[in-house]
This record gives sequence, structure tokens and C-alpha cells, in this order.
Amino acid sequence: MAGGPASVEFRAVVKRYGAVTAVDGVSFTIEPGTLATLLGPSGCGKTTTLRLIAGLELATEGQILIGGRDVTRRAAAERDVSMVFQSYALFPHMTVLENAAYGPIVDGTPRKEAHAMARAKLELVGLSGFEARMPSELSGGQQQRVAVARALVLEPQVLLFDEPLSNLDAKLRRRVREDIRELQRRLNLTVVYVTHDQQEALAVSDRVIVMSNARIAQAGSPRDLYERPANRFVADFIGDANVVAAELIEVSGDRAKVVLGGIALELERRGARPGPVTVAIRPEALLLSADRPAAPAAPGRIGKAAYLGTHMEYTVTSALGELFVIDRMPSRAFAAGAEVWISLPGTGVAIVPE
Amino acid sequence: MSEPAAASRAPARDAGGAGTGLLLLAPALLMVTALFLYPLGYSLTGAFRGVDGAWTLANFTKSFELYSRDIGFTVAIIGLSTLLIAFFSIAIGGYLTLGENRTAVVILRWLYRWPLFIPFIVAGQLMRAFLARNGMLNNTLMAMGVLDPADAPSLLDWRGIVIAFVWKQTPFVALLVAGAMATLDRSTIEAARNLGAGRLRILIEIVVPQVRQTLVVGLVLSFVTMMSVLSVPLMINAQSPTMITVDMAFRINAYGDYGVANALGFLSCALTGAVAWIYLRHGIRERGRQ
Ligand SMILES: Nc1ncnc2c1ncn2[C@@H]1O[C@H](COP(=O)(O)OP(=O)(O)OP(=O)(O)O)[C@@H](O)[C@H]1O
Ligand SMILES: [Mg+2]
Repeated sequence: MAGGPASVEFRAVVKRYGAVTAVDGVSFTIEPGTLATLLGPSGCGKTTTLRLIAGLELATEGQILIGGRDVTRRAAAERDVSMVFQSYALFPHMTVLENAAYGPIVDGTPRKEAHAMARAKLELVGLSGFEARMPSELSGGQQQRVAVARALVLEPQVLLFDEPLSNLDAKLRRRVREDIRELQRRLNLTVVYVTHDQQEALAVSDRVIVMSNARIAQAGSPRDLYERPANRFVADFIGDANVVAAELIEVSGDRAKVVLGGIALELERRGARPGPVTVAIRPEALLLSADRPAAPAAPGRIGKAAYLGTHMEYTVTSALGELFVIDRMPSRAFAAGAEVWISLPGTGVAIVPE
Repeated sequence: MSEPAAASRAPARDAGGAGTGLLLLAPALLMVTALFLYPLGYSLTGAFRGVDGAWTLANFTKSFELYSRDIGFTVAIIGLSTLLIAFFSIAIGGYLTLGENRTAVVILRWLYRWPLFIPFIVAGQLMRAFLARNGMLNNTLMAMGVLDPADAPSLLDWRGIVIAFVWKQTPFVALLVAGAMATLDRSTIEAARNLGAGRLRILIEIVVPQVRQTLVVGLVLSFVTMMSVLSVPLMINAQSPTMITVDMAFRINAYGDYGVANALGFLSCALTGAVAWIYLRHGIRERGRQ
């Protein structure tokens, strides 16, 4: 049944639970062999979307295609999709080997062969020698890898992860997410990955689908989302952003001249019209200096200052409003209350269309 | 310098605490001894005494001579009932946990507990009315034309007892089992679904093994209950072969023969003890595995 990685396509999918609409008219396509993340705040419908792909929920409206085949009405068992659950969902009464071999055994594969398949995948995730243990005898990270092995055994067309790292500590989280990415590349898998951690999403994905209130807020590459957020929500959710009001004074082609806090900048136009516009500024795009620089700058005053080892974090009051600033040179720290000049070199600043 | 004094006072207070604790427990302990342990010991040792008060195994020899058939019958009936109860309570718990038709689940949840609130004697009576040769079951079957009146059977024999037991005890075990199933991590069920398992397979391979402990406790308790029920076999089938509870009552009421009654009582204690022992061993092995 292994037919290589498959694409996943949603066409205007709606999922309602009684009066609650958990997924509201969602459409996207995930290319075969890529890793896409579903990113969004709690309750925005990420898990529901994943469960719709797996067939653990059936769509109320719309169409779901896997590998170009319409599976909208198909039950979970009939879809070639495996899921790694947030709690891992290992069968507590079975050994590691029995857990990993469950898929092929259900499929009717002879026990010996199923065990061989399971052993191969356990080795792949680095768990050789743990076959006879019970899940309760493993650490959280090891349990997670058993869950991955169990999901991989059937060589599914699509592999789903629901917040796979949320039960791991910060250090392990980074390593495991790299392992997952590595595995995805090596085995050429289509992976859909749910997280509410934007850093995790940016780090591992080919494509990020940002959800908000049961809808897609924006879908694109990590760079797209970070540098060209489609709306306030995405600008704020992906990395921190200072969302400030500005005035668009002149349009030329796809460029636009924008003035904010007395500083004029040329930015990508992104369909904006002359008049008031919204601009998102990344905290590390703002430069602070004690003396007035040659470039256009606005005066400001340091509110709070915090030392974080690799960088300083400030809040600065200025004509642009209250700004959050990250300065990568902690050796040159400003004290709270200091007068500074703020300038904008131009990267990390974008017009937000909505 | 005050520390050693404090240290030496602590154990003293503890000992006092233990003393007070024992004192508080004393009435309860006394009640248990007077009302349970003493009569139990008395009747158990009574099984080994003759009418003259001397130690003997005569009561057992007599019990086996007269009632070996009934002892076997009792074990068979209760064993079969236990198996059926296990089957039905798993089926009920399984449907409550895995059933997809919400309405059916709600109705079943409401319906299945009713027999819990009906006393055994009433259950026996209901079964009489239901299972007799001219009872409701046969009448219905005859009315439907499924059954020829000429060979309408009476189910008021061992089958009646089994049906009454299963009907009365299944809800109890199902209640425990369904409760345990409801607290399972549902994602294990979904993981199995995701790996391609059907509902029956999930029930047998994923759900039941995780609630086995509870199921066994329910079955042991139910076994003990059935061992001690007199009313059902009395109401449904008091002719030979019958259950040893009936024989015990008969020995006492008809002959004042406490010796044999005690011996039969001892045997039923031994049987339930054996079942409990199997359960305990099972539990220890289980914990050893984890
Ligand atoms: N079985 C259900 N019945 C009713 N409402 C549900 C059900 N499952 C989810 N919902 C609702 O649907 C919405 C989306 O839920 P979902 O689990 O997809 O969120 P999520 O994005 O995964 O959030 P989180 O990050 O907290 O896991 C929520 O408002 C939730 O309350
Ligand atoms: Mg979720």
C-alpha cells in the first residue's frame, strides 16, 4: 500500500461540533514530500484539522484529497495516514515491539514479519534493545520515538504529528524536532505537524499554515510569513512585531513611500493605497543610538531595559508609539530613562495589507 | 540542650497515638470479631465436628455422598454464569465506550442498570413468569408462530438459574467495567483506529486488556454473590440437581443437620477462596510485569 509520499488537499472544509465551528472553510494544498506545520493559538482548530486528515473526524462540508484521491467519506482505517499523538498514546499493556508491530499485525501481516518490520523502524529511531520494555519503563523522549516508529511502520503516505514535543524539556525539544525533520527528508515523507510554538514551526517547516479562529490566516514559507505577514494577526504571532500606524504618501509600481514617526521609508507596496496604512516592524529591525545618526531617525526614551545574555530587550517610547526593541549588542546597554535615537535600516519592516 | 528532650518525646507521643488509635478501633474490632470472625470460625470448625463434638471428616464424606452431583452442578452453573457475565458486561461496556450511535449509547446507558435495583428473590420470580412452560417467552414465541405449543420447553431448570444470575449480575460488572473504560486514555483507541483496527478488534486488543483488573474484580465479587444466593435456585429449580445453598438450607430446616450444612458451607468458602486466590496471584503477576 506504500505509494510514496502523497499530497494533502483541503477544499473549503468545514467541521462543526453542534454550535461550535472548529474548522471554517479551510483550503490548502500540501505538496508531497514536504513538511507543513499548522500553527496557531490554542483552540484555533489545528488538532481538528489534523484529525480530519487522519479520518478520526469526518468533515461537515467540503472535500479532502490525499494523493489526489477523494477520501472525504473514508474512515480512518481506510486512509493511508499515520498519526503521532500528543500524549503518544502507546498501548500500555504491550511491549515496545508489540506497539510498533501493531499496524502490520492489524493489516494481516504474519507476526514474525510484522516484528521484523517493527524492529527495523525501532532501529531507525534509535531504540534497538528496547523491544521488550513496557512503555511505562521508558522516558518521555523514548516513548515519543516509539510512537514515531509505530506510525512509520506502515510507511504511510502522510505522517501526522500533533504537538509532538510538548511533553519534552526544552533541550530535548530542539533535538527531537531536528530528528523529525531529518527523518522526513531522508524517508521523503509528507508530514503535517501541529504546533503552537512559532519558533518550532519556522525551524522545521517547508510551509507554515497559520490558523486563527478556525480559519487560515496565512500560508507560506517561513520567510514569507516572517517578512511579509498578510495581516496584523500573523505579524504579531510569527515573531514579535511592533504594529504601528503610518502614512503612505507615494506609490510607484510595486514600491511605496511610507512615513512613520517622521521617518520616510521605501517599502514593498503589497496592494496598499495612499493614505493611512499599518506597518509591522520587527524588534531587531530598530536601531538605537545615543547620538543622532546620519540616517533619518526619531527620538525616544528607554522605558524598560532587560539583559538576556545574547541581547538586550527594551521598551522605547517614541513618536511611533511604544516600541519593543531587541539589540544584539548587549555590551552597549542603555539604562532605563536614557534618551535615544531610533532609526530604521529598512529590512524587517513591511506594510501589512489587512 | 532542649533538643534531645524533644527527640525523646516524639516517639513517646507516637506510641500514645498508636494506643489511642487502637482504642478508637476497638469497638469496630470487637464487632467484627463478635459478629463475623467468631461465627465464621464456629461454623467452619463445626464442619469438622460430629454431633458428639469430636473431630471428624464424616460431615464431608456425607456431603460428598449426598451432594457431589450438586457441588459439580453449582460450580458449572456459576462458572458458566461468570463467563456469560464477562461476555455481556464487556459487550455493554464496549458499546458504551466505542458505540457511534449517540442515541443508542444514551438509551443503553440508562437501561442496563435496572436489574441492579431488583432483589434476587424478585428476579427469581420474574424469571419464573418469563421462562415457565406457559410463561411469557414461550407465549410470545408461540404467538409469533416460531414455536409449536406441543414442544414448548420449560426453561425452569439450570438454564433458568443461569439466565437469572446473568440478568441480575451483568449490570453490576458492566457498571464497574464501563466506568474503567470511560477513564481510559481515549487516544490509545484512536491510535488503534488510525493503525487500521476495527471496533471489535479495538475492544478485544486495546480496551479489555487495559480494564482487565477491574473486570476480574467484578467477576470475583459476582462469583461470591452467586455462591451465596439461595432464593434464585429455590424459586426456579429446587429439584435435584440443584445448588448447594438449597442443600444447606434443606439440611438445616429438614434435619437440623448443622454438620453437613457447615461442611457444604466450608466447601463454598473454599471455592470462593480459590477464585480469590487466583485473582490475587493474577494481580501480583500483573504488578510484577509493570
Ligand atoms: N469533540 C469536540 N466537541 C466540541 N467542540 C470541540 C471538539 N473538539 C474540538 N472542539 C472545539 O473546536 C475548537 C478547535 O479545537 P482544536 O482541538 O482543533 O484546537 P487546537 O487548535 O488544537 O488547540 P490547542 O492548541 O489548544 O490544542 C475549540 O474551540 C474546541 O473547543
Ligand atoms: Mg490541539
